[in-house]
Amino acid sequence: MTNHLLSVILFFPVVAALAILVIPASRVKAIRWVSFVASLVPFLISLLVWLQFNPYQEGYQFEEQFIWYSAISSSYHIGIDGISLTMMLLTTLLTPLAILASFTISERVKAYMALFLMLETGMLGVFFALDLLLFFVFWEIGLVPMYFLIAQWGGEKRNYASIKFILYTMAGSLGLLLAIQLIGVTTGTFDLPKLMEIWKDKQLSIFGLSTSAVKAIAFWAFVVAFAIKVPVWPFHTWLPDAHTEAPTAGSMILAGVLLKLGAYGFLRLVLPLYPMESRQFGGALAILATLAIIFGALSAFSQNDFKRLVAYSSINHMGFVILGIAAAAWQAGSVNANLALNGAVLQMFNHGLSSAGMFFLVGVIYERTHTRKLEDYGGIYALVPVYGSILIFTAMSSLGLPGLNGFVSEFLVVRGALPVFVLPTALSMIGLFFTGAYILKALRSVLHGPVNEHLHGHLSEINLREILVIAPLMVLMLWIGLAPAWIVEVINRAVMFAFSAL
Amino acid sequence: MIQQIPLSWYLIFAAMLFCVGLFGALARKNAIAILMGIELMLNAVNVNILAFWRFLYSDGVGGMVFVAVVFAAAAAEAAVGLALIISIYRRRNTVVADDIDLMKG
Amino acid sequence: MSTEMLIWLIPLPPLLAFALIVLFTYKKHALSHWIAVSAAGLSWLGSMVVFFSAAGKEGLSHEPFRSFINWLPTQRNFLQIGVQIDPLSAVMVFFVAWTVLMIFIYSIGYHNYGQPKGTADHPGLPPHGAALKKHKETGGMVPSVEPMYARFFALISLFAFAMFTLVVSDNLLTLYIGWELMGFCSYFLIGFWYAKPSARDAAVKAFLTTRVGDVFMLLGLVLLYSQTGSLSYADTLANPVVIEELAKHSSGILGLSIAGLIGLLIFIGVIGKSAQFPLHVWLPDAMEGPTPVSAMIHAATMVSAGVYLAIRVFPLISAGWEPGHALTPTMVVLASIGAFTALFAATIALAQNDIKRVLAYSTISQLGYMIAALGIGAYVAATFHLVMHAFFKALLFLGSGSVIHGVEHGVYHTGEHVDPQNMFNMGGLRKKMPVTFWTFLLGGLALSGFPLVTAGFWSKDEILSYAFKGDYFIVFVVLAVAALLTAFYTARQITLTFLGEARTKASSHAVESVKVMIIPLIILAVFAVTAGWSGIPQGFPLFGGILPNWFEEFVGSMVKESAPHGAGESGSLVPLLTSLVVSLGGLALGWWVYKDVRAGMNDPLERVLGRFYPLIKNKYYIDEFYQAAFIKPAIWIADKVAYQFLDKFLIDGFLHAVAKGTWRLGVIFRNFFDIPVVNGTGDAIGKGTQGLGDVLRKMQTGKIQQYMILSLLVVILVGVLFYLYFLLGRV
Repeated sequence: MTNHLLSVILFFPVVAALAILVIPASRVKAIRWVSFVASLVPFLISLLVWLQFNPYQEGYQFEEQFIWYSAISSSYHIGIDGISLTMMLLTTLLTPLAILASFTISERVKAYMALFLMLETGMLGVFFALDLLLFFVFWEIGLVPMYFLIAQWGGEKRNYASIKFILYTMAGSLGLLLAIQLIGVTTGTFDLPKLMEIWKDKQLSIFGLSTSAVKAIAFWAFVVAFAIKVPVWPFHTWLPDAHTEAPTAGSMILAGVLLKLGAYGFLRLVLPLYPMESRQFGGALAILATLAIIFGALSAFSQNDFKRLVAYSSINHMGFVILGIAAAAWQAGSVNANLALNGAVLQMFNHGLSSAGMFFLVGVIYERTHTRKLEDYGGIYALVPVYGSILIFTAMSSLGLPGLNGFVSEFLVVRGALPVFVLPTALSMIGLFFTGAYILKALRSVLHGPVNEHLHGHLSEINLREILVIAPLMVLMLWIGLAPAWIVEVINRAVMFAFSAL
Repeated sequence: MIQQIPLSWYLIFAAMLFCVGLFGALARKNAIAILMGIELMLNAVNVNILAFWRFLYSDGVGGMVFVAVVFAAAAAEAAVGLALIISIYRRRNTVVADDIDLMKG
Repeated sequence: MSTEMLIWLIPLPPLLAFALIVLFTYKKHALSHWIAVSAAGLSWLGSMVVFFSAAGKEGLSHEPFRSFINWLPTQRNFLQIGVQIDPLSAVMVFFVAWTVLMIFIYSIGYHNYGQPKGTADHPGLPPHGAALKKHKETGGMVPSVEPMYARFFALISLFAFAMFTLVVSDNLLTLYIGWELMGFCSYFLIGFWYAKPSARDAAVKAFLTTRVGDVFMLLGLVLLYSQTGSLSYADTLANPVVIEELAKHSSGILGLSIAGLIGLLIFIGVIGKSAQFPLHVWLPDAMEGPTPVSAMIHAATMVSAGVYLAIRVFPLISAGWEPGHALTPTMVVLASIGAFTALFAATIALAQNDIKRVLAYSTISQLGYMIAALGIGAYVAATFHLVMHAFFKALLFLGSGSVIHGVEHGVYHTGEHVDPQNMFNMGGLRKKMPVTFWTFLLGGLALSGFPLVTAGFWSKDEILSYAFKGDYFIVFVVLAVAALLTAFYTARQITLTFLGEARTKASSHAVESVKVMIIPLIILAVFAVTAGWSGIPQGFPLFGGILPNWFEEFVGSMVKESAPHGAGESGSLVPLLTSLVVSLGGLALGWWVYKDVRAGMNDPLERVLGRFYPLIKNKYYIDEFYQAAFIKPAIWIADKVAYQFLDKFLIDGFLHAVAKGTWRLGVIFRNFFDIPVVNGTGDAIGKGTQGLGDVLRKMQTGKIQQYMILSLLVVILVGVLFYLYFLLGRV
């Protein structure tokens, strides 16, 4: 099949961003609607791709390859398997919703929307790329718009947060670039499928370093870059600041998609390229994951800022992704590994839904009250019952209530990881308990209790546009919670094809 | 006939003429007089050209052509220069060269 | 329609009702309760059909009604979910359907359907009553309708869905889903009046306390799943080969076999859900919910789910145990926690004055009974007591709701500000609320095990005789003492509430509840008496054999039976006499102590128990202990260690140090290299050019003749130079 659906999905947002630059800045409404409609196009095409995708076929599908930079034999090579397919759907779904959520932005709308669309291209590119250099390029492209979104449209401490975000991520990227170059120089190709074939037996010595040393350097460079992005404890402290200070839609995308880039890097590059090293350090990774789960939950529990609490919940939830990946690294090829990876990928998707939903709902209430302090709310359930019910629903998805999506993935991860890492998994149950504690703490102080008199009359019910943003997320949460087979089957097959041979 | 007046005489004459012109251009205050000095210098050059042409290269018309070009340039220069001077006079009511120092750094 | 298909349909009507009410009819009272009640009715109908076809099927325990589908792909297999009715779930579905339907009907009256809207009512708070014009002169009021009426029916519908799902599922995963969903609903219902801080806190407490158990239970499920590759009852619990295999291998933890470990982990979930010590603290606080109904859910339905699960995983718990031999470690844990809880909660119940709290502690105590029974291997007796208890405890809770309602009416009428739930504010209600009194009396007698006529007698007697026969002497004594206390506090409750004279004006103006509330009471009262007749042991003196011991045969087929059963047969009358003595003695004692309590008097027990009284009055200070030992430290660790120390101080501190170090390095570079060297050079070039310009500009006078002189001089100079050059060059 030689259609160019992926390229269309990938570059449509950029084209749309350029088109938006032509619209006069004063016509704010037109800019909003054009960017919203434009962001729907990739989503619809990705639905088409989802339907045409054959989960039972091994390898990459919808592949496209053009020579890009022949001198260093790097090519524009894109394609997807079941893992990237899920991530693509998540990205193209969340972007229109985030744009719809940012209709309340009224300053420099044009730049905002254009940056947002660029961001989408950057993220999608990472998921599509089958060439290391291309991967890196898109990796960095995604970074820049996010920086500006935080620094320009963020909260009070946005300068600190955005600088921390970009410096931290850049620090990781440096190593990534170095490692990619090292691989490129020693093997003579950046092409991922080709690399997989020749990688195992290839002698990779350079500058007098042995093959194993080169591999170890590249491994650690990859791991650190991705660990920062996920983020794995203790590389996580940029996250609460960035999430808290970013504008609502920025937080949605940041938590919903950007964090997944790191985990995706682990799945796409680290595990396949370094099975030996992964196995060697899988135990350490599992311990870090457990620490992330426990301390993420505890830190979230101690927050008094609603948005910051939700931000910390991301660390807690992404800890499960890493736990699954670690288990798979340790016992590659086994049923446990397969289930753990199913859980990890599904958890990535689910966390995308629930954290984006939570950030959005925090944003909704923030726009009305201009406060994020938990003690400034109180008893608003009586004032905004619809909002309250939606918040409880989304929070329960985040909590992992059985019947909603979060439970399925957490169950799978724990199922996969428990036989592999008994103690870390058992300890991570502490985190699972505190997940309940911080979610209930938030609900308790926001919705329940006596009505805060200051809010009387200032609080309007959630409006139709906002319901339209959250409704698709809620539908998916329920759908995956009740009948997860449609998505798990895609992931399951992809994981089997990609990792069973290791 | 012609042989009786040697080349050097022409050259001396032209040099004298040039010096008169030079003096006029450098020393006179009146801009028109400066312009006239320049015309004299140009004419001195013409004399030189013609003299050299007649004595050294008389078989062609090069010398005449050069002189014609110099005349044309001189005429053009005189026309532009006078126009400028008139224009300056109208604005500043003076034709004294020292007063016209707008280009002072 | 096949029975299997019907089983799938049982849980669905309440779910549909929930969706309908939430999405469409949330503003309409009558429509909402009609939807909810008819949904419960449909489920009830389906349950009855299923129950009777199950009861009529031979060999049901070996070939249960079962149907399943693929749910979750796992590499090359699927995790399957489905429904199943075997004898155990059949009796579960029977009592769940009945009690749920009764609650639904009762709730209509309890939430004052048809009463006027409250004068000062506000969503999130209980109704405060409405002023009526004709009562204006007395300042009297009448009860007002619940402001969140439809919402209540939506939530209990979801609750019913969860309970039915749990009961009919054929695997532990959907059971867990129903289990957690019920926890969520109970969180919602306990915090139904969410604007009340006490209700809000009780809701959080209930959810988190049960969650402690739930995370262990999840571990247990996952362990079972990873060991056997399945979670369905048929492949794991009901498969002796699998159980044997699991029992053989040691888990390496506490000397337990793998089966025992899984059983223990799942049992910790049961401890949370069924409010066993030490996770019992949430249940009494759960009485903050709408009085009788949510309390009743927490007494008759949800907490029963915990015991149901324990019975369900009994094969794991007892793996490797042969009747008559030493108990497995996990069974010992069950027996000791159950027996301890039975006694411990009964003592607390002695000193509670809130009519619902007494019942709450009595529930904990009775559940302990069942767990203890299971711990010593009395599978059938535990199940029997579970079912009987569900009926009479539902009756008692609904009855207490009716009492509170009646007294509340008096409070509205007289304007007297007394707590309508405190039993010392009641008295003499026998005449005011005759139906409530008689049904409550029957329920109370069943709870205390009044001989022969009540259901509670048969089930308790069976447990006691089993304990005695099996030589579990400590369990026997503890349970007997607990039964004595139970009879005592039940008599105390009935005496204080219904007998004697009214101790407050409100109590003397109480009125009988509406029909829609008392009809469920009557129906449940019938069950509280007759249900016990389904399980009379064959060898019981005088009565044995008149009715077949149907329950024993039906549910007993689930386990390979079991030596010391049918206590009466071998002739020892000790357990029988014990149950007679404790129940009648406790009742008589309770009545005798409390029959003369007058308004304003202290509890007579206070004098008798002395320093022990404050201890049980304050529930052994366990809440305070947890607060100090777990909650405060957890908050402290979360804030100070995890956030302030690790994140803010250590990690961010390190980052900031790096940032600062880099900054310093930058400053050094700037001051000692950038500024002097790089900037210096650049600036020098600029400055020099400027200086030169300053010098040269003086030549530019603007005077044309000076320029000409200058150029003449240059020409001369150049000419001279040329001349000299050629001159010298030639030389």
